Order: sequence, then C-alpha cells, then structure tokens
Amino acid sequence: MKPISRGPALLAGTLLVLVVAAIAFSVGGVHLPLADLLPGRGEAGETARMLAALRLPRVALAALVGGCLALAGAALQALLKNPLADPFLLGTSGGAAAGAACAALLGASPLVSPAAAFLGAAAASVGVAALARRGGRLDLQRLLLAGLIANAFFSAMLLAAFSIASGEASRTMLFWMMGSLADATPGKVAALAPYALGGAAVLLAAAGRLNLFAVGEESAAALGVDTERTKRVVFLAASLLTGAAVAFAGVIGFVGLLVPHGVRAIAGNDQRTLLPLSALAGAALLVVADAVSRAALAPVELPIGAITAALGAPLFAWLLLRTP
Amino acid sequence: MTAGLIEARGLTARYGDSKALDGLNASIPAGEIVAVLGENGSGKSTFLKILARVLRPSGGVLEFDGRGLESLPRRQTARRIAYVPQSVELVFPIRSLDLVLQGRAPHGNGFVAETAEDFRRARDAMRACDVEALAERDASALSGGERRRVFLARALCQEAEVWLLDEPTAGLDPRHGLEFLETLWRIHRERGTTVLLVTHDIGLASGLASSVLLLKAGRTIARGPRSEVLTPENLSLAYGAPFERRGARFGVRSDVLPAGSFDL
Repeated sequence: MKPISRGPALLAGTLLVLVVAAIAFSVGGVHLPLADLLPGRGEAGETARMLAALRLPRVALAALVGGCLALAGAALQALLKNPLADPFLLGTSGGAAAGAACAALLGASPLVSPAAAFLGAAAASVGVAALARRGGRLDLQRLLLAGLIANAFFSAMLLAAFSIASGEASRTMLFWMMGSLADATPGKVAALAPYALGGAAVLLAAAGRLNLFAVGEESAAALGVDTERTKRVVFLAASLLTGAAVAFAGVIGFVGLLVPHGVRAIAGNDQRTLLPLSALAGAALLVVADAVSRAALAPVELPIGAITAALGAPLFAWLLLRTP
Repeated sequence: MTAGLIEARGLTARYGDSKALDGLNASIPAGEIVAVLGENGSGKSTFLKILARVLRPSGGVLEFDGRGLESLPRRQTARRIAYVPQSVELVFPIRSLDLVLQGRAPHGNGFVAETAEDFRRARDAMRACDVEALAERDASALSGGERRRVFLARALCQEAEVWLLDEPTAGLDPRHGLEFLETLWRIHRERGTTVLLVTHDIGLASGLASSVLLLKAGRTIARGPRSEVLTPENLSLAYGAPFERRGARFGVRSDVLPAGSFDL
C-alpha cells in the first residue's frame, strides 16, 4: 500500500474540477457550445453570454457547496474514527435547515436566512456536543447518538414548519428540505466563498493532528495532541462549512459520506492528502450531479438531493453491512 | 534516598463520581522496569494514562524529572514519555510504516510533514523490533503479536526515555508473548529505557521487573524491590485471594478446583 504523491494528486483533482465544470457549463435545458463564447459569433454569441451569466454562478455554487460538504464529512470521519460520520448524521445540517426555516416562517427577509442557518448549525453543534460531553470530555460514541437524536428532532421541526407555512414561504421551506442550486446568483457565490475558504483553512491546518486520531484519541493525546481542543476546533469548522452549504443550497445528503470514501479508496487515509482531495472531488461530484439534474429530464429539473441520495444510500447500506 | 524520575504523592483521579485513584504514592527510578500490579479496577491503567497525559489527575502531586507533569507542555512530555496502548481498533487501513512514523509527531515541525531523517528513524525502529518486513503492510490486517511490535517500534521511534505499557502480552500466545518481551528487554538493556509495565501476570512481573508497585482501590499498598513487595501476604491482600509461595513462584489455593492450587 504505497501512498500516492500529494502534489500530482491535488493537481489531478483540480484539473478534474475544471474539466467537469466546463462540461457542466454547456449542459442543460439549452445546449451551450463553449465556442460560442468566443468573440465574433454574432447573435449566437449574445445568447451564449446571457446563458453563461445564468449558468456560471450555478456551476460555481455547486462546486463550493460540494467542496464544503465533502471536506466536512472527511474531517468528521477522521475525528470520530468512524466511516459512517457525516454532517447529516451529526445533525448539523438539520439544525441549519431548521434555523433557516424558522426565520422564513417568522417572515424574516431572505437576506436573514443564511445567518439563521448558521445559528441553527451552531446551535445543533453546541447542543449535540453538550449531550455528548461526559466528565468534562467529549465522548465520541455519545456524539454519534446525540447527532441521531438531533436529526430526528430537526426533521420534525422542518416538517412542522412546512405544514404551517403557506405560499412563498412554503416554497422556500421546500427548497431547504429538498436542496437545490436553482437559485444561484453571483451574490450567493461571493457570500459563501469566505465561509468555505475559512472553514477549509482551519481543517487543512488540523490534518496532521487528525492523522493521529486514526489510532484513537488516547493515542493522539499521548503523542502530544491537545485532543479536546482539536475536537472542538474541527467540530466547529465542519459545522461552519455545513451551515454555509445548507444556507445557500438547502439539505443535500450523502456528499460528506460518499466523497471521502471514494477518495480514501484511491489515495489512502493520510488526512493531509485526503482532506484537500475530498474537497476537490466533492466539488466535482456536485457539479456533475447538478448537470445531471438539469439535463436528465429537461426541461424538468430533478432534485439534486435525489441524485446524491441514489449514489450515497447504497454506499451507506454497504458500509453498515461491513461495519462490525 | 534520591527522588525517582517519576514521583507521585497522594495522586487522585475520578471518572464522573467514582474514584479511580485515591491517594496513590509511587517513586519510579530512572532506567528500571517497574511492574504495576493490582486487581481489576485498582487504578493501574488510570495511573498509566495520567502519566501519558491521556487523563488528568483530580488532585495530589505528580512530578516528572522534578517538575509538575501537568504544567509541562504536552508535546514536550510526549518527546520523553511514550505510551503503548493495550489494544487498538484500527478502523481505516494504515501502513505500518506510517503508524511507526507517528512516533515522530512530538518532534520536528508539528505534524506537518515527515523528513528523510524521520523515515530513517522509523526504519531503524522497525528493524530493532523485527517488523521491518511489515513496513508496507496494512497494520489493521496484522496479527496481534505483529501489531504489538509495530506499536513498540512506534514508541522506539518516539525516542522517549520512559515507556508505559498496558498489559503488553495480554491475548498473545506464549511464542508471540515471548518474542515481544525479548524485544522489550533487549531495547531496555541497550538504551536504559525506564519501563512501567501494567500486568496481571505475576510471574512476568517477578521475572522481568526490578521493582513492583502494588495497588488496591486506587491506593498503593506496597512498593519497592520485587523481593520485598512480592510476598504471599501482600498478594493475598491485593487480590483478595489466598496466595502461597511455591519455590520462586506464587500460587493461589482453591478449595473448589480439583488440583487444589495453581501457579501464578
């Protein structure tokens, strides 16, 4: 089991994102040949530029959201030493969606909903961590169970909010429940980017320490890691990434589970490679999933969460069968 | 009497409401093998985990090389104290060489990247523990005995002067247990490593250790050279079972079992 070289792997990952983004860019209800964007194409060029202005933010948003979710999932799996860990399993994304839905129900302007989603994600994190805390320490098994309870609670809240809401509010509620990239704008992309980059920077800086968690928390502590602090930092950064992704794209499941597994199978479990590569692969996956959702039954759009779930649920079942 | 490398006085620790250590006293001299004995729940592993900075004590004094252990930076003590855990479940595949390289984490640049020097030390440590041939293998797929020695190589790679071993031979068959102990003994002799050995094997303690720390209910009931501590009276008190001396060994008497008594 020779490890793969980090540099070439990251370069390949970056190229993959660029290539799938270029393809996804031209795919959709209307085909957009990239060549039409070159100068001197007359009317075809005009149409192409209009389409591009609509589609570019969507592809960019898909890449950012996919990167956030995959990176958060990869970091949580390493931290919890559990292949089933995922922002959804820990209730973070449920908390974010419930937060956003509550704000919408109270008639808050859509501008407030990202903030409400962050608050929900943070509240879910703090609540789940408090439930999992025992004797001043964060117990990892209790953490998973607490996440399960939080998820059930937030799902019920979201359903209740949906049944109370009417008209426009119920449509946005549906957006958070189903997950969608249809409302992408350059403004949303610009708003998400700093959260994505900030959270990613924190997690990538923790990659070396996360490697030591692979042999267990006690082993990491004995090798000089302040494990309590690392757990808090990683848990909060993963929550931030998840909250940001949910605020701008709703709940899209299984990305955080699916991507790290695929990457681990190819690149091994060194977090210094796995984390950045998962972010890139997550970006590529969601760009592709979004293109499929637009093109498969055009002009009808499939919910993107249905596509990621169709890939992720069988994997989850397979992992569950393999977990002793 | 000179102070030991590790000095514990009135050390206490708790898990929630229950006391794990209740005034433990110990003095561990540098360069010796010290066996930590006591019944289940007597606080042996807790003491080891506190020394490894895995757990925090709730009270008492714990000094390492003359300074309060808890006041020292974690990475600094990790360069001097290595912990070999009892058994570790590896969920994800990990190359044995990478596992041994973890021993370099407290040294160098803060877990960022290994240097050629780190690789050299890891290879040397694997050679010394007879696991060089396993370097490229997945550690999660190794046998119990192989994996223990890979962890021993990690401790060696850590270049620590104190090794904490929690029941290192539990679950190993006689041959693998012997191979492990021979490797441990050789390294102890070559490098003067101080070893704290938690074990239930009284024969192992009396054979390998120069001194013994005997615990019961989180307290020290006897400590010192093995010939002074390992007496039928002390063992009967520690384990609540009737011990008797049989030549150089110890045994427990039974009124129930057919053979009547057993060597331990």
